[in-house]
Amino acid sequence: MLSMNNLCKVFQSADIQTHALREVNLSVNEGDFLSVTGPSGSGKTTFLNIAGLLENHSSGEFLLDGENVGALKDSARSRLRNQKIGFIFQGFNLIPDLNLYDNVDVPLRYRGFNARERKQRIHSQLERVGLASRMKHLPAQLSGGQQQRVAIARALATDPRFLLADEPTGNLDSEMAQGVMSLLEEINQQGTTIIMVTHDTELAQRASRSIQIKDGRVSEVPPLMKRVIA
Amino acid sequence: MFFYYLRLARISILRHWGLSLLMVTAIALGIGAAMTTVTVNYLMSADPIPSKSHALHTIQLDNWDESNPFKEGLEPPPFLTYRDAKNLLSAKKAQRQTMHTAAKAVIEPLAEEDLPLYVTVRANTADFFTMFETPFVYGGPWQKEVDDNNDLVVVLSEKINERLFAGENSVGKSIKINGDLYKVVGVLANWQPKPRFYHVDKVKAFDDSEDIFLPFTAITRKKINFDDNSYCWGPTTDNWQDYLNSECAWVHFWVEFNSPAEKQQYRDFLNGYVEEQRLYGRFKRPNDNRINTLEQWFKAREVINKDNNMLMAMAFLFLGVCLLNTVGLLLAKFLGKSPEIGLRQALGASKSTLFYQYMVESACIGVMGGLLGLLFTYLGLAGIEVLYGEKMKALVTLDAQLVIFAILLSVAATVIAGLYPTWRACNVAPANQLKSQ
Repeated sequence: MLSMNNLCKVFQSADIQTHALREVNLSVNEGDFLSVTGPSGSGKTTFLNIAGLLENHSSGEFLLDGENVGALKDSARSRLRNQKIGFIFQGFNLIPDLNLYDNVDVPLRYRGFNARERKQRIHSQLERVGLASRMKHLPAQLSGGQQQRVAIARALATDPRFLLADEPTGNLDSEMAQGVMSLLEEINQQGTTIIMVTHDTELAQRASRSIQIKDGRVSEVPPLMKRVIA
Repeated sequence: MFFYYLRLARISILRHWGLSLLMVTAIALGIGAAMTTVTVNYLMSADPIPSKSHALHTIQLDNWDESNPFKEGLEPPPFLTYRDAKNLLSAKKAQRQTMHTAAKAVIEPLAEEDLPLYVTVRANTADFFTMFETPFVYGGPWQKEVDDNNDLVVVLSEKINERLFAGENSVGKSIKINGDLYKVVGVLANWQPKPRFYHVDKVKAFDDSEDIFLPFTAITRKKINFDDNSYCWGPTTDNWQDYLNSECAWVHFWVEFNSPAEKQQYRDFLNGYVEEQRLYGRFKRPNDNRINTLEQWFKAREVINKDNNMLMAMAFLFLGVCLLNTVGLLLAKFLGKSPEIGLRQALGASKSTLFYQYMVESACIGVMGGLLGLLFTYLGLAGIEVLYGEKMKALVTLDAQLVIFAILLSVAATVIAGLYPTWRACNVAPANQLKSQ
């Protein structure tokens, strides 16, 4: 489903080369819940950006559903992102000028759904995260946990096959974090593949698979090791 | 998606109303300045007689001094001598022809208690009215025979008829001009062609038409006083008959053709006429017989003079400065939206989609700038009217075409101003923006 072979990412600035990812070999299968851990600056976010087609890799091969995405143009990458990938960010990234309804509407507009289809999906997703009654509110009128639930509703509105979550509980207190984590688990159980970057080892342990990135190198964390780390 | 982008633009403009207002005002000021000058220039260069402009022509002949050319030889005198005008009129080689000039007179009161009325006069031949399509409310032009038999007749303007006869039908009544009784044969409707095409120059092109119209013979018989430019060379005397026979050029001469062939025939006739006159020792300069269209005539007479063009250029430069300010403000606004742009990219928007979205927002600002600019234009034109008085009134009116042009100019200018900020904003790396939010 998602396959990286000898994938590298090098950032070049002036005379300095920074190897963010080195020869990553990884396969993520349908229905996986993959947690990505590692120290700050290890390359976790770069990995997630490449997986989410927000950045290009420097070398190697990246297949998404069997399609080599390395040579795709901006419009094709945008279409793939819209159709197959949902994003959840640490900072929620809701558009402050738009109410909840319109925030969830954004990816649906780019998908080209008609008004009735969009309305049905927005209502359905906001109900799923328990915020249907507040769809006319602006993000600033919600708590952090509620904002993240809206972000999850937006990510799921297009029925993506992947959900990429970058520190989804990083800005939440533990109670809210547990709520969001439970929601992600529920989504995963319904068949959506999730890749989640986190610093929280306890949350990482709840994923079905874990990888660790250190100095740009990816290593799989075996289940036993996960318990030890925990 | 267009209506979705319109809605997003409305939300964004209202949300950042202060910045939006600055941009709209900057554009509006530029548009206001540009449109004020464009309006004046547009109306100055408008076709004052569209149904006839292709047919009407003025005649110039170079009768000037052999060794001292008129306007350094670049152009013959703008008018004809009385002799030439009379000869050309008598020849009747065009479909219609008229000679005319400006004069002034005094209408003496019929009742003792009234005051004399000083009036501007156009002294012309009969075809003047038909050629220039002057509208009549009462009566009509005088007969062509009047031009030969010296009848004392007059055509009044609506204004003078209102003054003298309270707007009643005055045809058949008489008025006393400079001591002679003239019979009213017609009353014009309000006829104010702008530019006043039959008598244009740098200064008088936008004056109102005359108060009364008299046969040209009123001038030649010295019944009224000549009041127009006269270009002379060679010796002159104070004797009026000598002046009429002199090489002084002062008579406006116009002809009307129905076809290019008629125009060519007339050109041949003019060449023949000048050759004939050479036999009498006249026309010693090389042939420069001109048959000017209305457009050529306006250009030669500098109806839109260089000052106006310079003013318009400066107004457009000011618009440019306003747009540069708008570029800066749009850049600040759109770069401030980088996180949103990054997010929209993550959610599936391509760069071209985003470009379209933000250009719609720019265009909306342009439309608002255009509308406010129209208000500034209106104020600018009102200012010109206050400054230059009633005679500029016809040149300071916005018509539908100008309104549409102002809005299109504003939108086009703002879209162009928005290109760079939008391009910059759409090329931000989404990954960086998403992390930094």
